[in-house]
Amino acid sequence: MAQVSTPTAPARRARRSLPDLVVDRLWRFFCSVRIAIWEIAILALLVLIGTLRGSSVPQTVADAVPALAPLVERWYAWDVFHSLPFMVMLGLLSVAIAIGGMINRAPGIWQAIAHPTVATTHGFLRNAEASATLAAPAPPDVLADRMTDALRAAHYRVLTEERNGEIHLYADRFRFAKLGTFPFHLALILILVGGIVGARWGFRETEFIVPEGSVRGLGYGTGLSVRLDNFSDTYQENGQPRGFRSDLTILEDGEEVKRGVATVNRPLTFGDTVFYQSGFGQAVVLRITDARGQVLWDDAAPLDFVSSVNPDAPAAVIELPPAKIKLHVIAPDSNRGNAPEQDPLGLASGTMYFLPRPLGPDGPIGDAPGVVGRVGEVSEVAGLNVEFLRERRFTSLQVGRNPGIPIFVVASLMLVGGLAVTFYFPHRRVRGIVAAAPGGGSAATIVPLARRDWSAQRAFDRLSGEIEARLGLPLSRRRSPAEGPASATSRG
Amino acid sequence: MEALVKLSFYCFAAASIAFSASAVSYLAYAVGRVRLRQTALATSAGTTYVTRSAALEPGWTGAGRFGTMLAWFGVVFQGVSIALRTAAAGHLPLSNMYEFSSSFIFLMGLVYLLFERSYGVRQLGAVVLPITVGMIVYVWSLPVGLREVNALIPALQNRPLMTAHVSLAILAYAAFAVAFAAAVLYLVAVRRSVAWLPSPELLDDLGYRAVTVGFPAMALVLILGSVWAYQAWGTYWNWDPKETAALFTWLVYGVYLHTRSLRGWRGNRSAVVLLVGFAAVIFTYYGNYFFGGLHAYGGV
Ligand code: HEM
Repeated sequence: MAQVSTPTAPARRARRSLPDLVVDRLWRFFCSVRIAIWEIAILALLVLIGTLRGSSVPQTVADAVPALAPLVERWYAWDVFHSLPFMVMLGLLSVAIAIGGMINRAPGIWQAIAHPTVATTHGFLRNAEASATLAAPAPPDVLADRMTDALRAAHYRVLTEERNGEIHLYADRFRFAKLGTFPFHLALILILVGGIVGARWGFRETEFIVPEGSVRGLGYGTGLSVRLDNFSDTYQENGQPRGFRSDLTILEDGEEVKRGVATVNRPLTFGDTVFYQSGFGQAVVLRITDARGQVLWDDAAPLDFVSSVNPDAPAAVIELPPAKIKLHVIAPDSNRGNAPEQDPLGLASGTMYFLPRPLGPDGPIGDAPGVVGRVGEVSEVAGLNVEFLRERRFTSLQVGRNPGIPIFVVASLMLVGGLAVTFYFPHRRVRGIVAAAPGGGSAATIVPLARRDWSAQRAFDRLSGEIEARLGLPLSRRRSPAEGPASATSRG
Repeated sequence: MEALVKLSFYCFAAASIAFSASAVSYLAYAVGRVRLRQTALATSAGTTYVTRSAALEPGWTGAGRFGTMLAWFGVVFQGVSIALRTAAAGHLPLSNMYEFSSSFIFLMGLVYLLFERSYGVRQLGAVVLPITVGMIVYVWSLPVGLREVNALIPALQNRPLMTAHVSLAILAYAAFAVAFAAAVLYLVAVRRSVAWLPSPELLDDLGYRAVTVGFPAMALVLILGSVWAYQAWGTYWNWDPKETAALFTWLVYGVYLHTRSLRGWRGNRSAVVLLVGFAAVIFTYYGNYFFGGLHAYGGV
């Protein structure tokens, strides 16, 4: 607005400065309950859009309304959960939770817990949806004391205040449960923080392959390497897998630091690095030397590719930079359901097909022919001696380090604990006035602070019943504000 | 073992009958009786006009009690069925749609009956029990092979986590079903002045109470699900459709709670949010039929 930025002294004094105004606007934006609800609703909508993307629903929409086809196309293409709008919504929501849900509410909630307003008015009592009135021959201060005792016996905190010869009374129960909203909402933010910490400072290797008997370095600056000592898989009679197990040795800077087992659901942990069993496959152990007898390769190679000529044939690619050759190793067809003639290479079990290919632009060979090698034998492949020592297996591990996990665990506890406290210990409140009755003695009227809250009114009925029983005084109840003036209820 | 599985199935059949009869009784109780009145009017001219009118009257309370009793029978039979199957398989039956739905039927009946007891409201059964029967029909329509006990595939073998995750999901869905029933009755009660329905305030509150059971349970489902995913797959959140569908459901109930506690929504608008929430529950429950993803291998 023009006036705000006009640097005339009176204007500046009368109106607040621009930064002030912006801060104020933002603060109010984030405190707005209506906007907060919209934010949650929009987030829910985005989650729904992202969820449906993995289904056939958009396709059904496109089939029904062909005009929407281009939109559906974009829907399938949109990775909602990693998109900017989604991140922005999460950010907005976090700020709204912090400001509107917590900071802005804290003083009010604390006030209600520590220093609630005790005094009330007769009008308030008259207009309450329910009330209970007790009459006693004793003077007001005696009745007030007895009421206080009775409320305390029902585990209520009681505060009283004297006003114009009347005693005003405020009683509540489970007041600290009001604080449950803080751990709960904070937990929502912490879960996001945990996710960010995990993504920023953790790592995840989804396919860390170690052949049996071999050592592989993990990388990611961990200094760790892993040896697979043994791999075993078991099956049920119907062929369903029963379990996979890798016996692992973890080495740090070459030193053995831990031995252990990783199975599905029971990962192996070293420090904060976790090794999950995720898959397995075939490997071959080869020893490759060049014409001068120099060893280029003496290790297992996992067959973690498939051959391009037969997708049922596992394959490996071994790069041999000194010779500028990469060696393709193709195993026999591994699908027992296939007929033998489906394997174009016609390999028998115990054999491998070695196909040399140039590595880099100046590789020494062109399309050299492939060679079938037998286990235990040495084959000559493009001038190299390839000794096929034995077949092995490899394990495929997922390896992760996620420093966000402790945050997530703490947040989860806070979330569930906060919810339980909020829901199962509802803050119950009662207001009342004890006054001298016109015909002598005194009358106490109490009402619940429970507008349109059936459970709270029921709790109030129970409470007033307890007070009645404890004090042994006649008590009259009234429901709904429409029915008669309050005075009509007090019996003299 | 074979015998146990068979016996378990017979108990399920018995529960099916009990629940169906219970649903009919509850419906008879809640809808009330239709009374036809016939008034004859004789004119001075000697002709007689006969008018007929239909009026709804409160149902026979005996039908309501009968419904409750039959529902308890159903719950007991279903409980025995699940116990026998647990004995046969060595773990709680929660691993395929047959087992999962059987447990759902059991918990939905039980949660409903507990709410019925604590609120003293029987009419809700006229909505919850038909949902239960719908579930039973669904179970009967499943491939027969699922009724056999199979060992679990490796990823499902995490007993304690799986049991907690899945049974809490069932508890949450059952509570949301009760909330849904309360919302439906609410919407009926405020539109037609059906005198014998419970008061709208009570129904509104009952819906809220049910959500205060379902919402934390659902929060735990999401949390335990991610702990399990973390142990099995190494990431605690995969944005897998089944996960995000559950998150969506949870958020809808989050909207419900906020509109109530912060904007003072009650009644109509609250009830409509509950209907949306339950649609989300159904969507999450049957998500397997829409999606692939990590949760699909429980066998339909
Ligand atoms: C936009 C951000 C949010 C804001 C500003 C916010 C704010 C609030 C406030 C002020 C309350 C009432 C606390 C009290 O005074 O007693 C509340 C209650 C609650 N909020 Fe939020 N909240 C936000 C997001 C969420 C989300 C995302 C969820 C989860 C889905 C959630 C779940 C709840 C629950 C369960 C309650 C308790 C309701 C009840 O007592 O019935 N909130 N929220």
